[in-house]
Amino acid sequence: MAGLAESLYIQQLVELLAVVSSSTDEASAVQNAVERSAQALEAEVAAAVFDDKVVASIGFPPGAVPHEEIVAVTRRRRSALDVPGLGSCPAVTASWAGSHPGHLVLARWDAPFQVEEQNLVRGMARVLELTLTMLRTLTVEHAIRESLEERQRLLEHLFTIQRAISRREDLRQILDTITNGARDLLGDEIGLLWVRDDAESGRARLAAAAGTRPVDLDHPPVVDLADASVAGEAMVADRVVVRHGQETQSRMLKLLGPGTVYASMAAPVHDSGAVTGALVVASCDRDRIYTPGDEQTLRAFAENVSLALTDANTVVRMRQAHHDALTGLASRRLFLEQLDQQLAAVDSDGGTLAVLFLDLDRFKDINDSLGHAAGDQLLTVTADRITAQLRAGDAASRFGGDEFAVMLSRVDGPADAMAVAGRIVAALGKPMRVAQHRLRVGVSIGIALSGADGDEPAELVARADLAMYEAKRRGTGGYALYGETVPGDGTRPAVPR
Amino acid sequence: MRISDKEVHDRRWMGVGRSSLSDSGAAAADAVRRALTGPDPKLLVVFAAITHDTEAVLAGVAGAAPGVPVIGCTTHGEIGPGGPADGTVTVAALGGAGLEVATCVAEHVSGRQGDAGYEVAGCMRQVTQPHRVLMVLTDGLVRDQESIVRGCYRALGAGIPLFGGAAADGWRMSGAYLFKDGQVLTDAVIGAAIASEAPIAVGVRHGYRTVGQPMIVTRAADGRVLTLDDRPALDVYLERLNAPPQAYTDPSAFTAFALSRPLGVQRRSGVEARNLSTEVDLEGRSIGGGGAIDPGGLTWVMTGDEESILDATDGACQDALDRLAGHEPIGMLTFSCAALRAVLGDEGIRREGERLERWAGTMPFAGFYTYGEIARNHGIDGFHNQTLAVLALS
Repeated sequence: MAGLAESLYIQQLVELLAVVSSSTDEASAVQNAVERSAQALEAEVAAAVFDDKVVASIGFPPGAVPHEEIVAVTRRRRSALDVPGLGSCPAVTASWAGSHPGHLVLARWDAPFQVEEQNLVRGMARVLELTLTMLRTLTVEHAIRESLEERQRLLEHLFTIQRAISRREDLRQILDTITNGARDLLGDEIGLLWVRDDAESGRARLAAAAGTRPVDLDHPPVVDLADASVAGEAMVADRVVVRHGQETQSRMLKLLGPGTVYASMAAPVHDSGAVTGALVVASCDRDRIYTPGDEQTLRAFAENVSLALTDANTVVRMRQAHHDALTGLASRRLFLEQLDQQLAAVDSDGGTLAVLFLDLDRFKDINDSLGHAAGDQLLTVTADRITAQLRAGDAASRFGGDEFAVMLSRVDGPADAMAVAGRIVAALGKPMRVAQHRLRVGVSIGIALSGADGDEPAELVARADLAMYEAKRRGTGGYALYGETVPGDGTRPAVPR
Repeated sequence: MRISDKEVHDRRWMGVGRSSLSDSGAAAADAVRRALTGPDPKLLVVFAAITHDTEAVLAGVAGAAPGVPVIGCTTHGEIGPGGPADGTVTVAALGGAGLEVATCVAEHVSGRQGDAGYEVAGCMRQVTQPHRVLMVLTDGLVRDQESIVRGCYRALGAGIPLFGGAAADGWRMSGAYLFKDGQVLTDAVIGAAIASEAPIAVGVRHGYRTVGQPMIVTRAADGRVLTLDDRPALDVYLERLNAPPQAYTDPSAFTAFALSRPLGVQRRSGVEARNLSTEVDLEGRSIGGGGAIDPGGLTWVMTGDEESILDATDGACQDALDRLAGHEPIGMLTFSCAALRAVLGDEGIRREGERLERWAGTMPFAGFYTYGEIARNHGIDGFHNQTLAVLALS
């Protein structure tokens, strides 16, 4: 669940677009956007403000809408709204410029808006802007039909992006999907996505490309923001930039384009509020002129990139918090959580699980004599060899240094756990090639089985740790079961209960 | 009751009566008399099995408690002390000088659900006590119940909690009825503004969990899901659940299968359950039911079992009682989803009743099995499927 919750922001934006873009007049589009954005963020209050007037709102009874306070939020003079019956509620606002500038305001009881949610509100404001622009440019019937078709195509592209993100597809694929989508929707030959490595960087690298000459994205082209490229200008100015005419195109576009580029347009991409890149479309059609509607479409797509990047970065950050950076195994905290869950599961169905605590023998000698790099390499190989012995549902963790822990999610008894321990001992005992040396590393393993009512994860690990010391005391390369005397590879430890 | 509580009781009380007499008028009168346990009755909430003669029920109620405001509805089973029942008239009475009640009805609701919700919320203007809730009873066969609730929210804003349920007809799906004083109504909404000098609180929970990978609602209209992941919704849904072959071709087999397997919709604070079992279109291969699902939504198939559902029973009761902020409760209204009966079975709903009795202790409680539950504390939504909704009064 936790992994999927992060794709919620994209989903909410697409839902908003689906609902709002089906509106046939401005008033219902605005009211729909207001209510849908409140729904998505579980906010009690939402309002749309045009020309310092609240034109649509929800959360206050009619006649009791605090117009001045809501307008003050749009001017950033207030950061909360007083809602009768609830009290002071943290507020957030997003604005859009263009020919019909406006603001979206939301307020929620008891839960300030996170950075990602602020991004989402900005994305929602863009969707409303896009819809209003579309509605306002409709004059004749065929335009209405074309516009509806266009919105449908936009939705289909966004569905594809949303699906890719919710299924945790590779970030590069997601960015390719978005870049392709923008290019396809706008009917242009070229789509590009430039991304800065960090917010301070004066350079951006190419993260996705569609319709260009062949590009090796493992060694991506880099642009200097100070160069007069359309992408650089969009990133520096934080706005959509349009260039018409062959002579105004940047050197990079001329290089990447399959033919002569006559028009290009770039929209800034944000991550957590800062400009982190630019989404670019470019055309080889001599007569291509970008309309305000095209600008809105690109901007809506750029907001999707923003959410995708935020989403992907969140996943990376979460993974870093929960996994050992060197071996990729679960962190101690994550392991204890997994153990806690599995203990509850076996507790309810009367099963048994086992915890193995592993300590490498001679690791310190190798680290001291061959260096840290060799030590790291040895730990990585060890982690791979341990996980190779596990079944689906089992889990391995590096607890730090040369200590590892393993959870066998279901065992038929001590003999079953000892068989796995024996396999791990054998697997680690085989020579490994590290830093041009052929090394053999022994391991001592302590085993503890669940069984007592109300087993605590930490306690179970502590028992396995105790048993490991007993195994070590008996000599290297063996295992011991907590609380029992067992035969095992020459060692016969007995740890008192 | 302790003597020292009598004064409090006289200011705010709740009573529950139930009768399983077969004569509808006599059953109603009997239940009302049992429910009237205090002075100054302000509201009678009548839950009648669909098998009863509804006109006779209301005549019986009026005869036993002339002049007392009445609201109520038909059910898919009545909830109360002594366990769940089918075929009874069960009545909750509220009264005392510390309570105020105003009721209102909107008719011809279909096609103007939002406006109807807005209208019935108008009764809130007639009460003055500080702690308030709008209780809403709807016709469970009217589509787009969310819009009714949204209409109430538009009128009242964030400060007033919402509670209620959708009238049921024992799975006949031919006509559920609402009661307002002497009238039997369909295609209507009833609002009851309940205001008290002491806290009133709402709690709600469902007991389902998601299964497998999410799907995206790629086309939806009129409360129906047309496609999931760009394929016909009916087929995608059934494939995900390894449904038996007859569920693909027989509407009643589909409903029986789908009742206990709602579609989950991702929301910020969790996954909401949506019952899509009742309006299957075998030709168009689409599914529909009590709750709207919008295009773009991330959805899962969901399953639950007796244990998870009874945990939700506990959660909803605890949530409502905790929100009373330490005030002694005087009674609860408990609205449970009709679809839960399909998962729990007769034994399971008996155990659900036992859980409710455990939370209620000596205080009265009553409710019914609904075609949709209404409960809102925060956010702007409040229409639910597959939940238990609890209103606790202190």
